[in-house]
Amino acid sequence: MNKEMLALCDWVTKTAKAAGAEACVVNLDANRTVEVSYRDHKPENIKEASTKALNVQVFVAGRYSVQSTSDLRKEALRDFLGNAVAATRLLAEDPFRSLPDPKYYEGRAGTDLELVDPAYASFSPENRHDMAKALEGACLQAGGDKVVSVTSQVQDGSQESVMVASNGMVGYSRGTYYAPFAQMTAQDAGDRRPNGYSYAVTVHRGDLPKPEEIGARAARRTLDLLGAKKIKTETLPVIIENQNVGRLLNGVLGAMFGRSIQQKRSFLADKKGQAIASRHLTLVDDPLIPKGLGSRHFDGDGFAARRRVMVEAGVLKEFFVDWYYSRKLGWEPTTGSPSNLVVPPGTRSVAEIMKDLGRGILITGFIGGNANPTTGDTSIGIIGTLFEKGEPVQAVSEMNIADNYLKFLPKLVEVANDPFPYSSTRFPSMVFENVVVSGL
Amino acid sequence: MAEMSRRSFLKTTGGAAAAAAAVPMLAGNWHQLLAADSPGYFEREFGIGDALCRKVLAAALAKGGDYADLYFEHTIGNWIILEDGKVSRAFSDVALGVGIRTVKGDQVGYGFTQELEEKAMLKAAAVAATIAAGGPAAAPGQLSWMKAADHYPLKKLLTDVPLAAKLPLVQAVNDRCFALSPLVIKVNASFHDQQKRIMVVTADGTKSEDLQPRDYLTAFVIAEKGGRKEQAAWNLGGRRDFSYFTPGAVEAIAARAVGDAVQLFDAVQPPAGEMPVVLGPGVTGILLHEAIGHGMEADFNRKKTSTFSTMIGKQVAEPFVTILDDGTIPGMLGSINFDDEGIPGQRTALVENGILTSYMHDRISARFYKVKPTGNGRRESYQHYVQPRMRNTYMLAGPAAADDVIRAAGRGIYVQNVSNGQVKIGEGDFAFYVSQGRMIEDGRLGAPIKDINIMGNGPKMLRNISMVAGDLEFSQGGTGACGKGGQAVPVGFGQPTCLVKSLTVGGVRS
Repeated sequence: MNKEMLALCDWVTKTAKAAGAEACVVNLDANRTVEVSYRDHKPENIKEASTKALNVQVFVAGRYSVQSTSDLRKEALRDFLGNAVAATRLLAEDPFRSLPDPKYYEGRAGTDLELVDPAYASFSPENRHDMAKALEGACLQAGGDKVVSVTSQVQDGSQESVMVASNGMVGYSRGTYYAPFAQMTAQDAGDRRPNGYSYAVTVHRGDLPKPEEIGARAARRTLDLLGAKKIKTETLPVIIENQNVGRLLNGVLGAMFGRSIQQKRSFLADKKGQAIASRHLTLVDDPLIPKGLGSRHFDGDGFAARRRVMVEAGVLKEFFVDWYYSRKLGWEPTTGSPSNLVVPPGTRSVAEIMKDLGRGILITGFIGGNANPTTGDTSIGIIGTLFEKGEPVQAVSEMNIADNYLKFLPKLVEVANDPFPYSSTRFPSMVFENVVVSGL
Repeated sequence: MAEMSRRSFLKTTGGAAAAAAAVPMLAGNWHQLLAADSPGYFEREFGIGDALCRKVLAAALAKGGDYADLYFEHTIGNWIILEDGKVSRAFSDVALGVGIRTVKGDQVGYGFTQELEEKAMLKAAAVAATIAAGGPAAAPGQLSWMKAADHYPLKKLLTDVPLAAKLPLVQAVNDRCFALSPLVIKVNASFHDQQKRIMVVTADGTKSEDLQPRDYLTAFVIAEKGGRKEQAAWNLGGRRDFSYFTPGAVEAIAARAVGDAVQLFDAVQPPAGEMPVVLGPGVTGILLHEAIGHGMEADFNRKKTSTFSTMIGKQVAEPFVTILDDGTIPGMLGSINFDDEGIPGQRTALVENGILTSYMHDRISARFYKVKPTGNGRRESYQHYVQPRMRNTYMLAGPAAADDVIRAAGRGIYVQNVSNGQVKIGEGDFAFYVSQGRMIEDGRLGAPIKDINIMGNGPKMLRNISMVAGDLEFSQGGTGACGKGGQAVPVGFGQPTCLVKSLTVGGVRS
């Protein structure tokens, strides 16, 4: 716990109540971010700063507002809180708005989530520059004579947060992260200059892959895009690469929130307990993974975080229901937001699966696209590689897949053994059969 | 409407949260602000005088460099939200800070602070200075104000509009939506207003100040018929005075959102594959933003990472195609009196009579190309460095009649509303998402279609524009945000009815 931050949160709570608030929730965050990027063997950008933010949810006479400030001087805060209370009184009363029942605060896990790298303080400017140079150098080397431009970047940061609710919830979290990144642009035929990238994000520096690996992978991914063309519209199996699965499943997650259900904009609203996907899809929200990028001891309502199976063998088990929408729906709350989303991996590698499928498309990127949470309709552009007899034969671009999720998710026939480690969504590559891929 | 965002992956990690600086919405003395034509806001309110600016600029240039600037920002934003018939939620967020940039060739050092005090500013300047490694460069002597035309005059500051005046507006949107159709089952309505004050002080000895309003009133509607639900949304806004939001505006928003939602009950399965696409007038200009706009931002061309980087001076489209990026259209969301490095807002021809004419420049790329900056240097906030960015991007009206354009398409699709888009700059491949459209059968508008991603290639699409009508319409929306390199900036769109001979339509019917 940061005692100074906690003392300020307590003072804000007391002062808000003195100004007329019946209850409040105070979040105080302090962040530090550093960024170094390289291009042409020299720094392109260097950036560094620290920020603070105070966010106060005010409950006054059955009314509610959220206001934030970075001006943490007490005399300024006193005015700020007085005005926040006065503004809140003008809004309509909302009988569903209240602080959570404190019973949901209880039972917080005692485990150390290892969200702070003890070595972070010793990550020096020289370390950053060396890492950025290594990323750039490896990408340039692997890209060879196809390179038009290479940019590398190292971003890292630390954060500290205190949360206090006036009915007894107190929470504290700290974290560090490292995010090395490299991207390359290659010369292709005519005026096409394909761009590819690679990155990693970890809490601990020791868990990062070597910068040389990331740089070389960025080059490989770019070279894989050379010669991309669209092929004729065809029904094919597709493999969605692990790091891109999250973008496709976002349209499903969007329909799993309490707000979406209560506001009638969820195609999943009446599907609890029913199969929405093939038996190969299990989705777990697990906040307690050590070093997880979405790990936490408590959620945005202050609820003690715990593991939940959201989808089990294709059957929808749970929604993300926060305190407010649980009251509006008359349901038991779960948690208002995902933490780490885990799809248990399968047993085979993408290469093995490709061999088995024979002909299909390995999707390595999406472009544009969106999803309609009310109806479940989605349409999204794809970038990737056509494979035949399990071997890559041609890069594809300007192609698209479209379906309704309730028809698409049952087409999942396998998940691979490669959960993506550098995200809070730890999805493995996924294989879907009989997908209409539109092109020529 | 984002390019492939390099850092989008960080958004899910929670690690990179750059907290917005904030002070309260209704607090204190911001109500006594002077009008935009009386510069000196930051000196009056925060004591930022010339001597202090010169000292900080000197610190930014302490190790050399070609150029430095200071970007002061004070932004007050408010949101009020109606759900289930009541305005029962409000948010406010105020950003206050200064970003300090040192430029050496194409290299940038950047520091920022939320504290407008000398010590904190000098510390941020020291961070920026590390991009250079030599002896000190000269800081400016006298500082003098730059002048520019006002493209969004206000009768009243948005911060002077009381909360009590905004509440009935949002309530009226809700009530009109329900009144317009018995099929409407849910309405979300909201009003957002933002007042951004900026001052840019440059090592060239110039100071420029701007007051940039931004607002929108929006409706999101769910309708239900026979157990099936459909959604649609519409908004009006931009850089508008509060008086823009009349009962007529409320009616227009409600009628369009409800009309669109109800129309979707007749929607048919959209087709898949290559076919002619007609862009209806207005917001469909997002296609230009993706297909050519991003690729014409000069940073990508200076680095030769854009597909357009060798095409200046070449014929890229038919002679009746002219595409502009323009910061001077009154009240539009992408208009700017000054850009975020103190260059006056202006109009830039990207394509003139079919010839690729000019990139969009910030100071760094203008120096590289030895041209004048075009006023496209923009940033999300004081926490971000400048990049070349679009303002309002649109195509000028052409010689055809809209009906003839639709007739000429034969069989294809007609685009009415677009929600988002994306481009890969180097390949020129782009996509945009059609939330609402119609089939075109036998040269006539047919059944509604929806939720279709459309793909194309920028240079190829330009060559395929075969007809442009005379009905140029600007999108009057207030929500358009363009993302690039992790930064969002407000932008506008405009488009006359136009035929693209062939694009890939991402439907489900093959």
